[in-house]
Amino acid sequence: MDNPGKTLQSKKTLGMSLLYTLPMFLITFMFISGGKPSFSDTTGTMAFFITFLGMNVLFFLMHYTGKTDRFRAVLFIVFALSLSFTLIKNIVDIRNSMSFSQADIVECKIPFCHLVIPMMIIPAAFTKSIIFPGTILGNFANISSMVVLWGIATIVLGRGFCSWGCFYGGWDDGFSRLRKKPLLRKIGDNWKWMPFAVLFMVAITAALTLIPTYCDWICPFKTVTEFEQVTGVESAAKAGVFISLFGGLVVFLPAFTKKRTQCSFLCPLGAVNTLSNKITPFTIKIDKKTCNECFKCVDVCPMFALTPDGVRSGNVSVFCSKCGKCVDACSKKAIHYGIKGIPAGTMKNFSRNIFLFVSFLFIAVFSAGSILFTVQSLLSLILK
Amino acid sequence: MKKVKTVIGIIWACAGLILIVVLFPGLPGFSKALGSLPFMKINPRYSGGDVAFSQVMPSCTLVVRKPVFTGLWKERSNGFVQVDWRGDIPAIISDTIDYNMDSSPDFAVRINTVEPVSELVPLSDQVENINVSTRVSYGWALRVNLKK
Repeated sequence: MDNPGKTLQSKKTLGMSLLYTLPMFLITFMFISGGKPSFSDTTGTMAFFITFLGMNVLFFLMHYTGKTDRFRAVLFIVFALSLSFTLIKNIVDIRNSMSFSQADIVECKIPFCHLVIPMMIIPAAFTKSIIFPGTILGNFANISSMVVLWGIATIVLGRGFCSWGCFYGGWDDGFSRLRKKPLLRKIGDNWKWMPFAVLFMVAITAALTLIPTYCDWICPFKTVTEFEQVTGVESAAKAGVFISLFGGLVVFLPAFTKKRTQCSFLCPLGAVNTLSNKITPFTIKIDKKTCNECFKCVDVCPMFALTPDGVRSGNVSVFCSKCGKCVDACSKKAIHYGIKGIPAGTMKNFSRNIFLFVSFLFIAVFSAGSILFTVQSLLSLILK
Repeated sequence: MKKVKTVIGIIWACAGLILIVVLFPGLPGFSKALGSLPFMKINPRYSGGDVAFSQVMPSCTLVVRKPVFTGLWKERSNGFVQVDWRGDIPAIISDTIDYNMDSSPDFAVRINTVEPVSELVPLSDQVENINVSTRVSYGWALRVNLKK
């Protein structure tokens, strides 16, 4: 026998979710199509609709199911994979290789990524110039656009950028989901301060040498984007460091610990985003009245942002990347998305809805280009 | 006070929403504005420095850049000078360069652009060795290490 109350509630939720998705549907359609949709090419049209509808279905499901992280993670991981695919395919098409040459450096043709930003601040202040062999305006991944995108995102989302905007984070997020239970459970909590040490070290060494040292010597994501051509001992050593750090911090440790270890222990931009978490309007709140102190949220947090003491006192640390894992895990709905200034336990739906709209819109539009390119390339391969 | 904090929080959150909505359509404009700021130019260590002089040759143009000794707050004792050959470059480039325009040649260079092999003959104490010698989209680029 039907339960009329349940059916009515489901219909209401479905209607509300569709209504909530409508503005996202329209805005993403405008932004992804550039306001001038062109459906002349079949593969391109199919790729556009797969990307556009896929994204909006994920957004709809976030509202309809009340779960955030599982749908966010799908887009976040697809973004990371498609960005690497897009970058590698473009580079290989142009250079027949994943490595860049001396000529690319001399001609300042290296794509810029947001991880360089912490290293360019001190040199920019002293030398009034940018220490990166890229382009200021124009070409793909130019410096100005990336700085603007990251700057506004970090002001609005804080460290939420690390779970809703960073096109590398999906790699260790993805590997951290491979196992159901972690093999390694005890990891020192103090390691979460490590990115500040890395930030300090790379900012100082970059200022002294005028070389973006993190990109030059450390960045694990060189393994899945592009790296310096191996022509001698130094470049071979660099490639070794990139691959080792990728294997250790992006693949194995996340898989064994279910934590995002690269983001938590290494990324210097993550440290900067941690600081901007102080100014963002959005946060995670704990309603102490309903919390039963089961600490499931502490266990699932991939960024070491929650501690038992913090939960008891209702505090979420600045390391939080607002991924929503803790919110999804809380059976009492005591931990929730919030807006600073609004007391915990109040206006939960309003706060979540506005946060999800802002953060999802950012990742959807930011990732659309590379996802569209990847889908189109895959479709071309399949339909050949 | 609670109400004031709530209102401020909501206003800040709505401002965030507006910022993200205008970010993508406004990106070209914002980027252009940022790119026009005085510090938004590529450091000469990467760009190769400003052009000092150029000389039109039969098939290409020789472009000599200003020497680069850029440091964080003062010039360094070591740097480089970049020389470009733009246009149709010959199989063998053989030139003598006076980068500081003191009427005495500073180095001679012979580049086999086919092999590719580059040889440098320093003619002044400031010239050390070849840093980079490579084919580029516009021709050939050479960076020679210098000391002060």
